[in-house]
Amino acid sequence: MQSKSHGVVHWKLQRISAIAMIPLIIWFVSSLVFSLINGYDQSINWLQSPLNATGMILLFGTLYFHAASGLQVVVEDYVHNEGLKIMSLILIKLLSVLLGVLSILCVLKIYV
Amino acid sequence: MSEYEIVDHEHDVVVVGAGGAGLRATLGMVSGGLKTACITKVFPTRSHTVAAQGGIGAALNNMGENDSWQFHMYDTVKGSDWLGDQDAIEYMCKEAIPSVTELENFGVPFSRTEDGEVYQRPFGGHTLDYGKKMARRACAAADRTGHAILHTLYQQCLKYQAEFFVEYIALDLLMDDNGKCVGVLALCMDDGKIHRFRGHQTVLATGGYGRVYFSCTSAHTCTGDGNAMVLRAGLPLQDMEFVQFHPTGVYGAGVLITEGSRGEGGYLTNSEGERFMERYAPTAKDLASRDVVSRSMTIEINEGRGVGPNKDHIFMHLEHIDPATLQMRLPGISETAKIFCGVDVTKEPIPVLPTVHYNMGGIPTNYHGEVVTRKGNDQDAVVSGLMAIGEAACVSVHGANRLGTNSLLDIVVFGRAAAQRALKTVEKGSAHAPLPKRVTDKILARLDKVRHSNGDVSVGEVRNSMQNAMQKHAAVFRSNTSMKEGVQKVDTISKGMDNIGIKDRSMIFNTDLVEALELENLMQQAIVTMKSADQRKESRGAHSHEDYPERDDKNWMKHTIMWLNEKNKTKLDYRDVHLNTLTNEVASIPPAARVY
Amino acid sequence: MAEFALPKHSKIVKGIDYPINSEAENTKKINVYRWSPDDDENPRIDSYTIDLDQCGPMVLDALIKIKQEIDSSLTFRRSCREGICGSCSMNIDGTNTLACLKSIDDVKGDINIYPLPHMEVIKDLVPDLSKAYEQLTSVKPWLQSKSDPEKGKSRKQSPKEREKIDGLWECVLCFSCSTSCPSYWWNGDKYLGPAVLLQAYRWIADSRDENTEQRLEELEDSFKLYRCHTIMNCTKTCPKGLNPAKAIGEIKKLQLERR
Repeated sequence: MQSKSHGVVHWKLQRISAIAMIPLIIWFVSSLVFSLINGYDQSINWLQSPLNATGMILLFGTLYFHAASGLQVVVEDYVHNEGLKIMSLILIKLLSVLLGVLSILCVLKIYV
Repeated sequence: MSEYEIVDHEHDVVVVGAGGAGLRATLGMVSGGLKTACITKVFPTRSHTVAAQGGIGAALNNMGENDSWQFHMYDTVKGSDWLGDQDAIEYMCKEAIPSVTELENFGVPFSRTEDGEVYQRPFGGHTLDYGKKMARRACAAADRTGHAILHTLYQQCLKYQAEFFVEYIALDLLMDDNGKCVGVLALCMDDGKIHRFRGHQTVLATGGYGRVYFSCTSAHTCTGDGNAMVLRAGLPLQDMEFVQFHPTGVYGAGVLITEGSRGEGGYLTNSEGERFMERYAPTAKDLASRDVVSRSMTIEINEGRGVGPNKDHIFMHLEHIDPATLQMRLPGISETAKIFCGVDVTKEPIPVLPTVHYNMGGIPTNYHGEVVTRKGNDQDAVVSGLMAIGEAACVSVHGANRLGTNSLLDIVVFGRAAAQRALKTVEKGSAHAPLPKRVTDKILARLDKVRHSNGDVSVGEVRNSMQNAMQKHAAVFRSNTSMKEGVQKVDTISKGMDNIGIKDRSMIFNTDLVEALELENLMQQAIVTMKSADQRKESRGAHSHEDYPERDDKNWMKHTIMWLNEKNKTKLDYRDVHLNTLTNEVASIPPAARVY
Repeated sequence: MAEFALPKHSKIVKGIDYPINSEAENTKKINVYRWSPDDDENPRIDSYTIDLDQCGPMVLDALIKIKQEIDSSLTFRRSCREGICGSCSMNIDGTNTLACLKSIDDVKGDINIYPLPHMEVIKDLVPDLSKAYEQLTSVKPWLQSKSDPEKGKSRKQSPKEREKIDGLWECVLCFSCSTSCPSYWWNGDKYLGPAVLLQAYRWIADSRDENTEQRLEELEDSFKLYRCHTIMNCTKTCPKGLNPAKAIGEIKKLQLERR
């Protein structure tokens, strides 16, 4: 899956996504503490704010991207059967895109 | 001998040994287009050149002192106590300058001066203006100069895709009926196969044999295998009585503390805290040549002024030097002192003792690296097909005592010279004459005997008694009675070789077998060393004879050469010292009293 | 997928016990991994008890004593015995190091000695390092420059420039670091490992070398370089106190600057 020259790009994006997640996670956890534990209705309200919805979409995007690239490294480290490796990598990419799109659609559904 | 599978190789040149000399020769040959095999019993960067610390001598004049190769030559001749061949010394000191510059160009990470030039430090016996003041001539890479040079030479060999045969132990030279060397037989330790290397030139770069002594700075692998092969090929070794004791081996462990530490300002003291070298060498003091310092230390200890509970060693001080300088210039020995004697060099002195360090003697060669022998009146008869370089060789540029930094120089200059000579004399790709089977069979019979030896004495025991005998009887100071006793002891111990037994009968990585073969090599050199020492009735350089305390130029300004037959009987002869220079760019240096 | 069944000769069995005969008081038991390719036996652990009062201070001294006095078939590499040749690297008390620099007193209890981890074993404590050497060659570890120096002249290098390769060129190629790195264990065929990357960076950092761009280009590979996950075992284990992890970090930094 990895072409020779993608080493630095992959390494860089993995770190950028990790750094990007730091404020997003802090924001999400504090929202969880201050707003989201107050029940279903409040949570729906919270998510209907454009700022919060944008934040959630960004968080999901970054999260799945980061998870996919992390899992890719794990697979490359430990799976030495070429066929199995390629299959796993495709599966990881597909799953993360699928789950990412699904999560974002859910946010949009509530927001709209 | 069908038990052994033989693999044949044909090359233009076969180099045995991959230390500095072997690698420099290999590099020169490969880059010149000769098909070269380099056989080595350890991976190249593990050769003992790696342990050289202080520097490589060359009058580059980077420190602005008007240094010149003529001064360097004078110091080397004087250091050799006029036993060195002046033509070869002239060649070495002159070629030092391009050879070391070449090393820099190859990528050696030399330390630098503020101007960006190669850094040079003072070293024992190196002076300006024919002994007037100390010179800064040792080109250094911190205190790991050997490591820097060896790794760089290996890297250059990789660049030219040199062919290495790693972890092969050379068994014996292949000598044809005319006394020509046509290659070498080796045992591959990895798979136990025998490899027959044919070459138009065989270059022995097998290093010294420090391990005949109990306490030495040499590696465990320094067993002089090439020297012993030469003896078994019916050729003589030269000046074997001259064994250098380095003044500063760590007390107990025997590991080396570079002379460069005294070059950077370190000094020695006795139990009274006196800087005693000022008495023995008023000008050079702690930087007198090694034989002088080692003798002075031994006298101090013998007269009861040694340090420690047993008053049996000497202190070397570095604690007055700025810690930043120590960190920059002597990081390696700071570490060594910490590990091997628990000493923090910024606070305490290092306990040191003169320790066997270098063999001035070896295989006699001319300054091209070609092995020579004495045939009747011809004192410089070249042995066809055979070269020797580095510590294995006796060119002789070191004579009776080598100056510090001249060994790294020796290996580089003569490794280079051997390559240049081979490029001139060897016709690339020419055919090899057939070799009678019996030549190989004879060598295999010897191997077979050792491999199946099942006596009741271990290699370790015999080696121990040999080392102890040498340590006692071929020491810093020698005497008639002690050496006579030594000759007898070594003779008796050598008979024990018939009674050794090894336990490992396998062929793959059989270090039990290898150590037995190495012991056989060491033993033959021990005999020759002891006997050569016993017959020299004078004191010169490292050979300090209590019964003949003076140098005797009239009777003894000559090289000892000694043969050894299969029954371990020796034959003695001499070769004249070359007092002539190579060119008329410099005049011959007449013998004089040696004062530092 | 990872193999769950153990390959042949993986199970280590108990070997021969060599007790001490004399009544020495200061003794130490040394357990050594033994395996010979000549028979079809599994590896075993032989135990040797030695008298420390009759032995040098380092683990290498103990091994030499065993070979010399108890069992001459014990096989290991050694040469300089002062930590500069890099021959006697092995796993002592769970850490890769040079036997000649490891003090016996540093180990509490019995001393367990194994060959460098995850390398093919030739015999006993002797690992096959040929692949690691090939990897070293693959990074072209020699000075490359387009401009030749003026004939008969040294290249110039300021002390500041020279300082940049301190801590890099001193490597003794013992491969203690590479063989302590889990990434190298799993992907040693493709990942260059800390020892070789340190050598690669030694030339990148040398002001005299003019092929930095090409060197970086060849290293920019998700396996050769980026299998380093900053585990730091390399730096922790280096018997010479060098810092390969930092060198790898510097290479990564330079890769970022190129893009």
